[in-house]
Amino acid sequence: MEPKIRIDNIQVVYPGRGRTGPVEAVGGVSLDVADGELVCVVGPSGCGKTTLLRVLADLEQPTSGQITLRRDNPARPLKATVFQGGGIFPWMTVEQNVAYGLQLQGVSPAQRIATARHWIGEIGLERFAHAYPTQLSGGMQQRVGLARAFAFDAEVLLMDEPFGALDAQTRLLLQQTLLQQWERSSKTVMFVTHSIEEALTLGDRVCVMSARPGRLLHEVQVPFARPRDAVALRTDARFSALFAEIWGVLRTEVDRARADEVGA
Amino acid sequence: MNRNRWLSLLSPLVLLGLWELAVQIGWINRIFLPPPSEVFHTLSELIATGQIFRDTGISLLRVGLGFLLGGIPAIVVGLFMGVSPVVRALVQPLAAAIYPIPKIALLPLIIVTLGLGETSKIATIAVSVFFLVVLNVAASVLQVDPRYFEVARSFGARRRDLFWTVALPGSLPGIMNSIKLGMGFALTLIVGVEFVGADSGIGWLIWQAYELYAIDRMIAGLVVVALVGWLITVGLDELEYVLVPWQASSVRIKERRVREHVRIWWTTIRPWSYTAAMIPVLLGASIAAYDGAINWWLLLLTMIGSVAIQLGTNLINEYYDDRKGIDKVQVFGIGGAIQRGELAAWQVLLAGLLAFAVGSGIGLYLVSVTGPFIFWLGVFSVATGFFYTAGPFALAYVGLGELAVFIFMGPVIVIGSYYVQAETITLPVVLASLPVGFLVAAILHANNLRDLDIDRQFGKRTLATLLGRSGANIEYYVLVGGTYVSLIVTVALGVMPWLTLITLVTLPAAVRLMRIVAVETEPHALQPVLRQTAKLHMRFGSLLIFGWVAAWLMGSFGYI
Repeated sequence: MEPKIRIDNIQVVYPGRGRTGPVEAVGGVSLDVADGELVCVVGPSGCGKTTLLRVLADLEQPTSGQITLRRDNPARPLKATVFQGGGIFPWMTVEQNVAYGLQLQGVSPAQRIATARHWIGEIGLERFAHAYPTQLSGGMQQRVGLARAFAFDAEVLLMDEPFGALDAQTRLLLQQTLLQQWERSSKTVMFVTHSIEEALTLGDRVCVMSARPGRLLHEVQVPFARPRDAVALRTDARFSALFAEIWGVLRTEVDRARADEVGA
Repeated sequence: MNRNRWLSLLSPLVLLGLWELAVQIGWINRIFLPPPSEVFHTLSELIATGQIFRDTGISLLRVGLGFLLGGIPAIVVGLFMGVSPVVRALVQPLAAAIYPIPKIALLPLIIVTLGLGETSKIATIAVSVFFLVVLNVAASVLQVDPRYFEVARSFGARRRDLFWTVALPGSLPGIMNSIKLGMGFALTLIVGVEFVGADSGIGWLIWQAYELYAIDRMIAGLVVVALVGWLITVGLDELEYVLVPWQASSVRIKERRVREHVRIWWTTIRPWSYTAAMIPVLLGASIAAYDGAINWWLLLLTMIGSVAIQLGTNLINEYYDDRKGIDKVQVFGIGGAIQRGELAAWQVLLAGLLAFAVGSGIGLYLVSVTGPFIFWLGVFSVATGFFYTAGPFALAYVGLGELAVFIFMGPVIVIGSYYVQAETITLPVVLASLPVGFLVAAILHANNLRDLDIDRQFGKRTLATLLGRSGANIEYYVLVGGTYVSLIVTVALGVMPWLTLITLVTLPAAVRLMRIVAVETEPHALQPVLRQTAKLHMRFGSLLIFGWVAAWLMGSFGYI
């Protein structure tokens, strides 16, 4: 069967400014993601993993290469993005934020409020439905960002380090929430993170990217059965083995990225 | 209130005190700098003659029109500049070039083009506001975080959606700020504009005072300008709260706490009860006007005094209801802030005593102006107010509430208000006050009627509990019916002008209320009767005043 997402030799080069020459952010990445698969991409910071995701989200044009997202249901939106820190609008209440995508699609007010209410319930923020984001903690804002993407009900979810800025406990809780919601849905997910634990906890497959220019270096199939428990997983011996394996690959890249920064 | 807040109140007061002192001892020549007391006196004169209202009103009208004419196009153009680089390239250089010119420098040019009339004043304001606001609005659109546009695009937003869901709401805080800036600018400008070639307005008032070398008037004018500026700031803050509710800084949170406090006090002082205190005052004054004596300044003072006494009564009442353990939380009754722990008992008592102090202060001033009669009336009023629920023989708890309210909120205030104006008391005034007295007693009785069963349970003796359900119903008919009977009799006797019969349009509403009382016994069914009776009092009272005023105006124009 055709893959849901096909990334074919994507290269992104930013034109140079002044004395610095052009910067190659993504250096020829090819990757196929199957229908209903959750693929995590890990890499050192600045390796171009976010750029890759932005290309998928149509927020950036690749310099060369091609991207194909297969649409299965013309009635549903194709993709939704969850942004770093949530990216929710400060001028809308929680409910309006969650209903935002539906509003743009022209869903009737009554129906989109009902859907928003359902997802606000799922993320446990009923009491804050009419609160503004400034009244919420970082973790709550991120939950709203999740609910907004799920309420939009797209076939593909693109997640850009959504839990990156949160404290460890909140992060664990949100990973658990995401696992529950995703396991019930049939969505294809591309999840970008810099945390190996997070990638192993969530993903069916973990792709490791090199330092800039970002290329795919290594791939790991995650063997844990679903439904998963974000906490119980960590005691599994295979978890530490896989962690060590990925860290081994990543380590040299992190060093290279460091050296690059110092040299520049 | 914390200590710093007290200090910030203290410093201006000390300054005012020193200023007064310095002038009184002769350190400062009062010709150059008159003391605050003199400024206050001048200000009260300007209020009494109504001049201050006229000039402030005219200035505000100019500012308002100029602001709308300049500000609304500025917001629209500024938004276009923000979202469209083309419009920005077209307008920006022009706006940026004109913006730094001090707009008052344009005044001569505008006067040459548009003449000395209103148009040139409004145009000056409009032009100045436009350039200030347009650049600020454009900048605030550009300041919206580009991330939000990406988020919107990722959910499939089209150009139109980007404007309505991101650019506009995202720049609203900035737009609100430019409105505030523009308004401050317009206020500064209007005074300057009115210095030149105006014959009205607050700026003119100050300039004219300068030409007459009346420094007290100049300072009084400045005080009014400051006051108006402050009120507009408060108003715009309120508007911001409505338009930009998501802006939550620590200030906002503090504001919310203040708001909550205001709400608690607002319900505790029972704002709806003040029409009951104001209507008899206005009635007395309108009868006095009909008889040819009206002083607006004294009327204003009488109003404030009467409201203060009513306020004191409500608060003391709240305090003693709590002390006597009347459970307001269970009862429909309003108030109950002390029982809910929202306010401390001492706060309520203190506020009540303060209100009485203000009321008494105004009362004493009125006594000094009109004579001892008002003094005794005042003593009687304060005593009634205090002993209404306080003391061992609380009027409200021995079935004398209606009588006390009837006398105090009817004849006593009407006579007092009339006396302040006319310095005499006539039988027609007493008679004319009776309908209002009946109705105000009916309000209280409607309250007691609703609480009849609960009051009986708690042993609170009202006339209603003493009379029993059917007797209490008859009492209600008597009070409401008495209103209309006394009205018709006094008109028939020729005591009141026939125009006051206009109040009869409220009769159907009154009949409807009596019908409800006849069949209902449940508190929740009688709750609307209380509200409607209070409304009836307000409508009846307003129409009665209208009748007197209409008769006065027709008389003074020679139609009667």
